Amino acid sequence: MSIERQREGFVVLDGASYRYGAEAPIVDRVDWAIPRGAFHCLVGRSGSGKTTLLKLAAGLLRPDTGQVRIDGAALNGPGSRIGFVFQQPTLLDWLSVLDNVLLPLSLKRALRAEDREKARALLGLVSLGDYAQRHPAQLSGGQQSRVAVARALITEPDLLLLDEPFAALDALTREELQDDLLALCAMHATTVLFVTHDIGEAVYLADRVAIMAAGRLHHEMAVNLPRQRGREMRYGQPFNALCRELRQAMDAAS
Amino acid sequence: MKARLASALLLLVLLGGWEAWCRLGSVPALIVPAPSSVFATLWSEIVSGRLLPHLAITATEMTLGLALGCLIGLGAGILLAEAEFLRRLLHPYIVASQVVPKLALGPLFIIWFGFGLTPTVVITALICFFPLMENTLTGLSQVDPARRELFRMLGASRLQTLLRLKLPSALPMMLAGLRVAVVLSLVGAVVGEFIGGRAGLGASIIAAQSVMDSSLMFALFIVITLLGMVFYQAALLLERLLLRHHLKG
Repeated sequence: MSIERQREGFVVLDGASYRYGAEAPIVDRVDWAIPRGAFHCLVGRSGSGKTTLLKLAAGLLRPDTGQVRIDGAALNGPGSRIGFVFQQPTLLDWLSVLDNVLLPLSLKRALRAEDREKARALLGLVSLGDYAQRHPAQLSGGQQSRVAVARALITEPDLLLLDEPFAALDALTREELQDDLLALCAMHATTVLFVTHDIGEAVYLADRVAIMAAGRLHHEMAVNLPRQRGREMRYGQPFNALCRELRQAMDAAS
Repeated sequence: MKARLASALLLLVLLGGWEAWCRLGSVPALIVPAPSSVFATLWSEIVSGRLLPHLAITATEMTLGLALGCLIGLGAGILLAEAEFLRRLLHPYIVASQVVPKLALGPLFIIWFGFGLTPTVVITALICFFPLMENTLTGLSQVDPARRELFRMLGASRLQTLLRLKLPSALPMMLAGLRVAVVLSLVGAVVGEFIGGRAGLGASIIAAQSVMDSSLMFALFIVITLLGMVFYQAALLLERLLLRHHLKG
Protein backbone atom coordinates (compact mmCIF):
# COMPACT_ATOMS: atom_id res chain seq x y z
CA MET A 1 0.00 0.00 0.00
CA SER A 2 2.71 2.48 0.97
CA ILE A 3 4.64 1.71 -2.20
CA GLU A 4 1.46 2.24 -4.16
CA ARG A 5 0.97 5.58 -2.45
CA GLN A 6 4.56 6.61 -3.07
CA ARG A 7 4.15 5.90 -6.73
CA GLU A 8 0.84 7.67 -6.85
CA GLY A 9 2.15 10.92 -5.39
CA PHE A 10 1.53 12.87 -2.20
CA VAL A 11 -0.93 15.24 -3.86
CA VAL A 12 -3.15 13.75 -6.54
CA LEU A 13 -5.68 15.49 -8.74
CA ASP A 14 -7.73 12.80 -10.39
CA GLY A 15 -9.91 14.07 -13.24
CA ALA A 16 -10.77 17.20 -11.24
CA SER A 17 -13.21 19.65 -12.87
CA TYR A 18 -14.78 22.83 -11.56
CA ARG A 19 -17.27 25.25 -13.09
CA TYR A 20 -19.25 28.28 -11.90
CA GLY A 21 -22.91 27.73 -12.72
CA ALA A 22 -23.59 26.69 -16.29
CA GLU A 23 -20.50 28.30 -17.81
CA ALA A 24 -17.66 26.41 -19.44
CA PRO A 25 -15.50 24.66 -16.85
CA ILE A 26 -12.72 26.78 -15.30
CA VAL A 27 -10.77 23.62 -14.50
CA ASP A 28 -11.37 20.79 -16.95
CA ARG A 29 -10.53 17.15 -16.10
CA VAL A 30 -7.08 17.78 -14.65
CA ASP A 31 -4.89 14.82 -13.69
CA TRP A 32 -1.77 15.61 -11.76
CA ALA A 33 0.42 13.97 -9.16
CA ILE A 34 3.04 15.67 -7.00
CA PRO A 35 5.45 13.33 -5.18
CA ARG A 36 6.27 14.07 -1.54
CA GLY A 37 8.90 16.79 -1.22
CA ALA A 38 8.69 17.88 -4.87
CA PHE A 39 8.40 21.48 -6.05
CA HIS A 40 5.96 21.82 -8.94
CA CYS A 41 5.07 24.99 -10.82
CA LEU A 42 1.99 25.77 -12.82
CA VAL A 43 2.32 28.44 -15.51
CA GLY A 44 -0.48 30.08 -17.42
CA ARG A 45 -1.97 33.32 -18.58
CA SER A 46 -4.49 35.23 -16.44
CA GLY A 47 -7.86 33.53 -16.55
CA SER A 48 -6.47 30.12 -17.47
CA GLY A 49 -7.90 28.60 -14.29
CA LYS A 50 -4.69 28.19 -12.32
CA THR A 51 -5.93 29.99 -9.20
CA THR A 52 -9.07 27.82 -9.22
CA LEU A 53 -6.93 24.69 -9.55
CA LEU A 54 -4.89 25.83 -6.55
CA LYS A 55 -8.05 26.39 -4.51
CA LEU A 56 -9.18 22.88 -5.40
CA ALA A 57 -5.86 21.55 -4.12
CA ALA A 58 -6.31 23.63 -0.94
CA GLY A 59 -9.81 22.33 -0.28
CA LEU A 60 -11.23 25.87 -0.49
CA LEU A 61 -13.29 24.66 -3.46
CA ARG A 62 -14.69 21.15 -4.02
CA PRO A 63 -14.36 19.64 -7.50
CA ASP A 64 -17.65 19.07 -9.36
CA THR A 65 -16.30 15.83 -10.73
CA GLY A 66 -13.11 13.95 -9.99
CA GLN A 67 -11.20 14.00 -6.77
CA VAL A 68 -8.33 15.60 -4.90
CA ARG A 69 -6.32 13.29 -2.62
CA ILE A 70 -3.64 14.28 -0.12
CA ASP A 71 -1.50 11.40 1.11
CA GLY A 72 -4.06 8.92 -0.21
CA ALA A 73 -7.08 10.44 1.58
CA ALA A 74 -9.78 12.43 -0.22
CA LEU A 75 -9.59 16.13 0.64
CA ASN A 76 -12.78 17.45 2.28
CA GLY A 77 -11.76 20.99 3.21
CA PRO A 78 -8.86 23.17 4.29
CA GLY A 79 -6.69 21.71 7.03
CA SER A 80 -3.63 22.63 9.04
CA ARG A 81 -1.44 20.32 6.91
CA ILE A 82 -1.81 22.75 4.02
CA GLY A 83 -0.30 26.23 3.95
CA PHE A 84 -1.53 28.82 1.48
CA VAL A 85 0.10 32.05 0.30
CA PHE A 86 -2.30 34.38 -1.50
CA GLN A 87 -1.66 36.80 -4.37
CA GLN A 88 -1.84 39.67 -1.88
CA PRO A 89 0.00 39.39 1.45
CA THR A 90 -3.43 39.65 3.23
CA LEU A 91 -1.81 40.60 6.53
CA LEU A 92 -3.98 41.98 9.33
CA ASP A 93 -3.01 45.66 9.72
CA TRP A 94 -3.97 45.80 13.38
CA LEU A 95 -1.61 43.01 14.44
CA SER A 96 2.16 43.22 14.79
CA VAL A 97 4.32 41.27 12.33
CA LEU A 98 4.94 38.64 15.02
CA ASP A 99 1.23 38.22 15.75
CA ASN A 100 0.51 37.97 12.03
CA VAL A 101 2.97 35.09 11.73
CA LEU A 102 1.44 33.46 14.81
CA LEU A 103 -2.14 33.82 13.54
CA PRO A 104 -2.54 30.23 12.26
CA LEU A 105 -1.44 28.88 15.64
CA SER A 106 -3.37 31.37 17.78
CA LEU A 107 -6.59 30.42 15.99
CA LYS A 108 -6.02 26.80 17.00
CA ARG A 109 -4.90 27.04 20.62
CA ALA A 110 -3.36 29.24 23.31
CA LEU A 111 0.13 30.38 22.38
CA ARG A 112 3.18 29.08 24.20
CA ALA A 113 6.58 30.66 24.67
CA GLU A 114 8.15 28.24 22.19
CA ASP A 115 5.64 29.32 19.53
CA ARG A 116 6.92 32.88 19.80
CA GLU A 117 10.48 31.63 19.63
CA LYS A 118 9.65 29.66 16.50
CA ALA A 119 7.96 32.66 14.87
CA ARG A 120 10.97 34.86 15.68
CA ALA A 121 13.30 32.25 14.20
CA LEU A 122 11.17 32.05 11.07
CA LEU A 123 11.17 35.85 10.76
CA GLY A 124 14.95 35.69 11.08
CA LEU A 125 15.08 33.24 8.17
CA VAL A 126 13.16 35.66 5.93
CA SER A 127 15.52 38.48 7.10
CA LEU A 128 12.85 40.25 9.15
CA GLY A 129 14.28 39.46 12.58
CA ASP A 130 14.28 43.12 13.62
CA TYR A 131 10.75 43.78 12.44
CA ALA A 132 8.76 41.52 14.78
CA GLN A 133 7.08 44.37 16.65
CA ARG A 134 6.39 46.54 13.59
CA HIS A 135 3.01 46.68 11.93
CA PRO A 136 2.29 45.77 8.28
CA ALA A 137 1.72 49.42 7.29
CA GLN A 138 5.36 50.09 8.18
CA LEU A 139 6.69 47.39 5.83
CA SER A 140 7.51 47.47 2.12
CA GLY A 141 5.65 45.21 -0.33
CA GLY A 142 8.51 42.70 -0.39
CA GLN A 143 8.68 42.58 3.40
CA GLN A 144 4.92 42.00 3.58
CA SER A 145 5.27 39.07 1.18
CA ARG A 146 8.02 37.63 3.39
CA VAL A 147 5.70 37.84 6.41
CA ALA A 148 2.97 36.06 4.42
CA VAL A 149 5.40 33.23 3.57
CA ALA A 150 6.50 32.96 7.21
CA ARG A 151 2.85 32.84 8.30
CA ALA A 152 2.14 29.97 5.91
CA LEU A 153 5.13 28.00 7.22
CA ILE A 154 4.60 28.44 10.98
CA THR A 155 2.45 25.30 11.19
CA GLU A 156 5.13 23.31 9.28
CA PRO A 157 2.64 22.22 6.63
CA ASP A 158 3.29 19.13 4.52
CA LEU A 159 1.97 20.94 1.48
CA LEU A 160 2.53 24.59 0.61
CA LEU A 161 0.38 26.23 -2.07
CA LEU A 162 1.35 29.63 -3.47
CA ASP A 163 -0.74 31.79 -5.79
CA GLU A 164 1.57 34.22 -7.64
CA PRO A 165 2.83 35.51 -4.29
CA PHE A 166 5.65 37.62 -5.75
CA ALA A 167 3.89 38.98 -8.85
CA ALA A 168 3.64 42.53 -7.51
CA LEU A 169 7.32 42.81 -6.53
CA ASP A 170 10.27 44.27 -8.40
CA ALA A 171 12.62 41.84 -10.14
CA LEU A 172 15.48 41.98 -7.62
CA THR A 173 13.23 41.53 -4.57
CA ARG A 174 11.47 38.70 -6.38
CA GLU A 175 14.77 36.86 -6.96
CA GLU A 176 15.70 37.20 -3.27
CA LEU A 177 12.34 35.86 -2.20
CA GLN A 178 12.61 32.93 -4.61
CA ASP A 179 15.94 31.92 -3.04
CA ASP A 180 14.49 32.31 0.48
CA LEU A 181 11.47 30.21 -0.44
CA LEU A 182 13.63 27.39 -1.86
CA ALA A 183 15.76 27.36 1.30
CA LEU A 184 12.72 27.32 3.61
CA CYS A 185 10.98 24.52 1.70
CA ALA A 186 14.17 22.44 1.64
CA MET A 187 14.37 22.58 5.46
CA HIS A 188 11.31 20.41 6.05
CA ALA A 189 11.15 18.82 2.58
CA THR A 190 7.83 20.60 2.03
CA THR A 191 5.80 19.60 -1.01
CA VAL A 192 5.06 22.73 -3.03
CA LEU A 193 2.66 23.74 -5.77
CA PHE A 194 3.52 27.22 -7.02
CA VAL A 195 1.34 29.10 -9.48
CA THR A 196 2.86 31.88 -11.59
CA HIS A 197 2.64 33.59 -14.96
CA ASP A 198 6.40 34.19 -15.01
CA ILE A 199 8.23 31.54 -17.07
CA GLY A 200 11.66 32.32 -15.60
CA GLU A 201 10.28 32.06 -12.07
CA ALA A 202 8.73 28.67 -12.83
CA VAL A 203 11.92 27.20 -14.32
CA TYR A 204 14.08 28.59 -11.51
CA LEU A 205 11.94 27.18 -8.71
CA ALA A 206 10.50 23.94 -9.98
CA ASP A 207 11.43 20.29 -10.39
CA ARG A 208 8.57 20.02 -12.79
CA VAL A 209 6.48 22.59 -14.68
CA ALA A 210 3.10 22.29 -16.35
CA ILE A 211 1.24 24.75 -18.53
CA MET A 212 -2.40 25.53 -17.97
CA ALA A 213 -4.59 26.96 -20.73
CA ALA A 214 -8.39 27.18 -20.84
CA GLY A 215 -8.75 24.93 -17.81
CA ARG A 216 -6.64 22.07 -19.15
CA LEU A 217 -3.08 20.97 -18.47
CA HIS A 218 -0.59 20.90 -21.34
CA HIS A 219 3.04 20.02 -21.76
CA GLU A 220 4.33 18.76 -18.44
CA MET A 221 8.06 19.26 -18.40
CA ALA A 222 10.79 18.10 -16.03
CA VAL A 223 13.38 20.73 -15.10
CA ASN A 224 16.71 18.94 -15.25
CA LEU A 225 18.78 21.51 -13.44
CA PRO A 226 20.80 20.84 -10.24
CA ARG A 227 18.53 21.12 -7.17
CA GLN A 228 20.82 23.75 -5.69
CA ARG A 229 19.77 26.82 -7.66
CA GLY A 230 21.79 30.02 -7.77
CA ARG A 231 21.83 33.42 -9.41
CA GLU A 232 24.40 32.44 -12.05
CA MET A 233 22.12 29.71 -13.28
CA ARG A 234 19.61 32.27 -14.54
CA TYR A 235 22.04 33.34 -17.25
CA GLY A 236 23.21 29.85 -18.26
CA GLN A 237 22.38 28.15 -21.53
CA PRO A 238 20.40 25.16 -20.06
CA PHE A 239 18.16 27.50 -18.06
CA ASN A 240 17.36 29.66 -21.08
CA ALA A 241 16.77 26.62 -23.28
CA LEU A 242 14.14 25.42 -20.81
CA CYS A 243 12.53 28.87 -20.74
CA ARG A 244 12.39 28.91 -24.53
CA GLU A 245 10.84 25.44 -24.64
CA LEU A 246 8.23 26.47 -22.08
CA ARG A 247 7.45 29.66 -23.96
CA GLN A 248 6.95 27.80 -27.25
CA ALA A 249 4.76 25.26 -25.50
CA MET A 250 2.66 28.09 -24.04
CA ASP A 251 2.17 29.65 -27.45
CA ALA A 252 1.17 26.27 -28.84
CA ALA A 253 -1.30 25.65 -26.01
CA SER A 254 -3.23 28.90 -26.27
CA MET B 1 -1.38 76.24 11.97
CA LYS B 2 -1.93 79.16 9.59
CA ALA B 3 -5.46 77.92 8.90
CA ARG B 4 -6.19 77.73 12.62
CA LEU B 5 -4.94 81.26 13.15
CA ALA B 6 -7.08 82.51 10.28
CA SER B 7 -10.03 80.58 11.69
CA ALA B 8 -9.62 82.26 15.10
CA LEU B 9 -9.20 85.63 13.42
CA LEU B 10 -12.43 85.12 11.50
CA LEU B 11 -14.25 84.47 14.79
CA LEU B 12 -12.95 87.77 16.20
CA VAL B 13 -14.01 89.64 13.06
CA LEU B 14 -17.48 88.10 13.16
CA LEU B 15 -17.90 88.90 16.87
CA GLY B 16 -16.66 92.45 16.28
CA GLY B 17 -19.09 92.92 13.40
CA TRP B 18 -21.95 91.56 15.49
CA GLU B 19 -21.09 93.87 18.38
CA ALA B 20 -20.87 96.88 16.08
CA TRP B 21 -24.15 95.98 14.39
CA CYS B 22 -25.93 95.76 17.77
CA ARG B 23 -24.52 99.03 19.05
CA LEU B 24 -24.71 101.17 15.94
CA GLY B 25 -27.85 99.69 14.42
CA SER B 26 -29.73 99.95 17.70
CA VAL B 27 -31.04 96.40 17.47
CA PRO B 28 -33.31 95.64 20.45
CA ALA B 29 -31.40 93.48 22.96
CA LEU B 30 -34.40 91.17 23.22
CA ILE B 31 -34.09 90.20 19.54
CA VAL B 32 -30.29 89.99 19.20
CA PRO B 33 -28.17 90.69 22.28
CA ALA B 34 -24.64 92.03 21.74
CA PRO B 35 -21.77 89.58 22.27
CA SER B 36 -20.50 91.65 25.19
CA SER B 37 -23.78 91.21 27.07
CA VAL B 38 -23.91 87.48 26.15
CA PHE B 39 -20.43 86.92 27.57
CA ALA B 40 -21.28 88.95 30.66
CA THR B 41 -24.34 86.75 31.26
CA LEU B 42 -22.32 83.61 30.63
CA TRP B 43 -19.67 84.73 33.10
CA SER B 44 -22.21 85.55 35.82
CA GLU B 45 -23.87 82.14 35.29
CA ILE B 46 -20.52 80.41 35.71
CA VAL B 47 -19.37 82.29 38.82
CA SER B 48 -22.76 82.08 40.51
CA GLY B 49 -22.56 78.28 40.14
CA ARG B 50 -25.97 78.11 38.43
CA LEU B 51 -24.61 76.76 35.16
CA LEU B 52 -22.55 73.81 36.34
CA PRO B 53 -25.36 71.53 37.62
CA HIS B 54 -27.30 71.97 34.34
CA LEU B 55 -24.18 71.27 32.31
CA ALA B 56 -23.54 68.16 34.39
CA ILE B 57 -27.08 66.88 33.84
CA THR B 58 -26.99 67.36 30.07
CA ALA B 59 -23.53 65.77 29.84
CA THR B 60 -24.78 62.83 31.92
CA GLU B 61 -27.85 62.35 29.72
CA MET B 62 -25.67 62.54 26.65
CA THR B 63 -23.18 60.02 27.99
CA LEU B 64 -25.81 57.56 29.20
CA GLY B 65 -27.88 57.88 26.03
CA LEU B 66 -24.80 57.51 23.85
CA ALA B 67 -23.58 54.47 25.80
CA LEU B 68 -26.98 52.79 25.69
CA GLY B 69 -27.50 53.65 22.02
CA CYS B 70 -24.04 52.44 21.03
CA LEU B 71 -24.45 49.20 22.95
CA ILE B 72 -27.76 48.47 21.24
CA GLY B 73 -26.49 49.70 17.86
CA LEU B 74 -23.38 47.54 18.05
CA GLY B 75 -25.32 44.48 19.18
CA ALA B 76 -28.04 44.93 16.58
CA GLY B 77 -25.47 45.57 13.83
CA ILE B 78 -23.55 42.40 14.65
CA LEU B 79 -26.72 40.33 14.95
CA LEU B 80 -28.17 41.58 11.67
CA ALA B 81 -24.85 41.16 9.84
CA GLU B 82 -24.40 37.58 11.04
CA ALA B 83 -27.97 36.34 10.71
CA GLU B 84 -29.26 36.87 7.18
CA PHE B 85 -32.77 35.79 8.18
CA LEU B 86 -32.99 38.29 11.06
CA ARG B 87 -31.79 41.04 8.78
CA ARG B 88 -34.62 40.44 6.32
CA LEU B 89 -37.10 40.06 9.17
CA LEU B 90 -36.17 43.08 11.28
CA HIS B 91 -34.53 45.66 9.05
CA PRO B 92 -37.81 47.23 7.79
CA TYR B 93 -38.95 47.70 11.39
CA ILE B 94 -35.66 49.27 12.40
CA VAL B 95 -35.84 51.69 9.49
CA ALA B 96 -39.44 52.49 10.46
CA SER B 97 -38.27 53.25 14.01
CA GLN B 98 -35.90 55.83 12.53
CA VAL B 99 -38.34 57.38 10.08
CA VAL B 100 -40.95 57.95 12.78
CA PRO B 101 -40.24 61.42 14.24
CA LYS B 102 -38.64 60.43 17.51
CA LEU B 103 -39.31 63.76 19.14
CA ALA B 104 -42.99 63.10 18.66
CA LEU B 105 -42.49 60.08 20.90
CA GLY B 106 -41.31 62.41 23.69
CA PRO B 107 -44.73 63.00 25.25
CA LEU B 108 -45.35 59.25 25.22
CA PHE B 109 -42.02 58.59 26.92
CA ILE B 110 -42.99 61.07 29.65
CA ILE B 111 -46.06 58.95 30.35
CA TRP B 112 -43.95 55.80 30.38
CA PHE B 113 -40.85 57.00 32.22
CA GLY B 114 -41.98 60.16 34.04
CA PHE B 115 -40.18 63.52 33.89
CA GLY B 116 -36.44 63.87 34.29
CA LEU B 117 -33.44 61.90 33.20
CA THR B 118 -34.96 58.66 31.90
CA PRO B 119 -37.11 59.82 28.96
CA THR B 120 -34.27 62.04 27.70
CA VAL B 121 -31.77 59.19 27.91
CA VAL B 122 -34.19 56.93 26.02
CA ILE B 123 -34.74 59.51 23.26
CA THR B 124 -31.00 60.07 22.98
CA ALA B 125 -30.33 56.34 22.76
CA LEU B 126 -33.05 55.91 20.16
CA ILE B 127 -31.52 58.64 18.01
CA CYS B 128 -27.90 57.56 18.19
CA PHE B 129 -28.18 53.79 17.93
CA PHE B 130 -29.02 54.02 14.23
CA PRO B 131 -25.76 55.36 12.73
CA LEU B 132 -23.77 52.87 14.77
CA MET B 133 -25.98 49.95 13.74
CA GLU B 134 -25.93 50.89 10.06
CA ASN B 135 -22.17 51.39 10.00
CA THR B 136 -21.50 48.18 11.93
CA LEU B 137 -23.75 46.30 9.51
CA THR B 138 -22.04 47.82 6.47
CA GLY B 139 -18.54 47.42 7.90
CA LEU B 140 -19.06 43.77 8.79
CA SER B 141 -20.40 42.90 5.36
CA GLN B 142 -17.53 44.63 3.51
CA VAL B 143 -14.63 42.55 4.83
CA ASP B 144 -11.95 41.87 2.20
CA PRO B 145 -12.82 38.52 0.52
CA ALA B 146 -9.14 37.49 0.39
CA ARG B 147 -8.84 37.83 4.17
CA ARG B 148 -12.05 35.85 4.67
CA GLU B 149 -10.57 33.13 2.50
CA LEU B 150 -7.43 33.23 4.64
CA PHE B 151 -9.50 32.63 7.76
CA ARG B 152 -11.33 29.78 6.04
CA MET B 153 -7.99 28.29 5.03
CA LEU B 154 -6.83 28.52 8.65
CA GLY B 155 -9.96 26.70 9.81
CA ALA B 156 -11.23 29.62 11.93
CA SER B 157 -14.65 29.20 13.55
CA ARG B 158 -17.46 31.65 12.88
CA LEU B 159 -16.95 33.35 16.25
CA GLN B 160 -13.19 33.62 15.66
CA THR B 161 -13.80 35.12 12.23
CA LEU B 162 -16.18 37.66 13.77
CA LEU B 163 -13.95 38.64 16.68
CA ARG B 164 -10.56 38.48 15.04
CA LEU B 165 -11.26 39.50 11.47
CA LYS B 166 -14.63 41.12 10.88
CA LEU B 167 -14.86 43.41 13.90
CA PRO B 168 -11.28 44.74 13.63
CA SER B 169 -11.78 45.26 9.87
CA ALA B 170 -15.07 47.08 10.46
CA LEU B 171 -13.64 49.25 13.24
CA PRO B 172 -12.92 52.35 11.08
CA MET B 173 -16.49 52.23 9.75
CA MET B 174 -17.93 51.72 13.24
CA LEU B 175 -15.98 54.65 14.65
CA ALA B 176 -17.21 56.88 11.82
CA GLY B 177 -20.71 55.90 12.94
CA LEU B 178 -19.79 56.77 16.51
CA ARG B 179 -18.75 60.26 15.41
CA VAL B 180 -22.18 60.85 13.90
CA ALA B 181 -23.84 59.33 16.98
CA VAL B 182 -21.94 61.72 19.28
CA VAL B 183 -23.28 64.75 17.41
CA LEU B 184 -26.80 63.33 17.39
CA SER B 185 -26.65 62.49 21.10
CA LEU B 186 -26.35 66.19 21.93
CA VAL B 187 -29.40 66.96 19.81
CA GLY B 188 -31.24 64.13 21.58
CA ALA B 189 -30.31 65.32 25.05
CA VAL B 190 -31.13 69.00 24.48
CA VAL B 191 -34.37 68.41 22.63
CA GLY B 192 -35.37 65.69 25.08
CA GLU B 193 -35.06 68.31 27.81
CA PHE B 194 -37.21 70.73 25.81
CA ILE B 195 -40.02 68.21 26.08
CA GLY B 196 -39.72 66.66 29.48
CA GLY B 197 -36.74 68.07 31.32
CA ARG B 198 -36.77 70.06 34.55
CA ALA B 199 -33.03 70.59 34.60
CA GLY B 200 -30.22 70.63 32.07
CA LEU B 201 -29.14 73.05 29.34
CA GLY B 202 -32.21 72.39 27.16
CA ALA B 203 -34.58 72.97 30.08
CA SER B 204 -32.64 76.14 30.92
CA ILE B 205 -33.23 77.47 27.40
CA ILE B 206 -36.98 76.95 27.84
CA ALA B 207 -36.78 78.69 31.24
CA ALA B 208 -34.82 81.61 29.73
CA GLN B 209 -37.35 81.90 26.94
CA SER B 210 -40.22 82.14 29.40
CA VAL B 211 -38.61 85.21 30.98
CA MET B 212 -37.53 86.61 27.59
CA ASP B 213 -33.84 86.54 28.53
CA SER B 214 -32.28 86.24 25.07
CA SER B 215 -28.76 86.91 26.22
CA LEU B 216 -29.04 83.91 28.60
CA MET B 217 -30.33 81.84 25.68
CA PHE B 218 -27.32 82.85 23.57
CA ALA B 219 -25.00 82.07 26.49
CA LEU B 220 -26.56 78.59 26.70
CA PHE B 221 -26.09 78.08 22.94
CA ILE B 222 -22.38 78.74 23.43
CA VAL B 223 -22.17 76.23 26.27
CA ILE B 224 -24.05 73.58 24.25
CA THR B 225 -21.79 74.13 21.24
CA LEU B 226 -18.66 73.79 23.37
CA LEU B 227 -20.05 70.62 24.99
CA GLY B 228 -20.65 69.12 21.55
CA MET B 229 -17.17 70.04 20.37
CA VAL B 230 -15.56 68.47 23.44
CA PHE B 231 -17.47 65.20 22.87
CA TYR B 232 -16.62 65.24 19.16
CA GLN B 233 -12.93 65.80 19.86
CA ALA B 234 -13.03 62.94 22.36
CA ALA B 235 -14.48 60.69 19.65
CA LEU B 236 -11.70 61.77 17.24
CA LEU B 237 -9.09 61.06 19.89
CA LEU B 238 -10.53 57.58 20.50
CA GLU B 239 -10.48 56.98 16.75
CA ARG B 240 -6.86 58.02 16.45
CA LEU B 241 -5.96 55.74 19.34
CA LEU B 242 -7.81 52.66 18.10
CA LEU B 243 -6.90 53.03 14.43
CA ARG B 244 -3.24 53.88 14.85
CA HIS B 245 -2.18 50.67 13.09
CA HIS B 246 -4.90 50.46 10.46
CA LEU B 247 -3.79 51.21 6.92
CA LYS B 248 -4.93 54.60 5.70
CA GLY B 249 -7.30 54.86 2.78
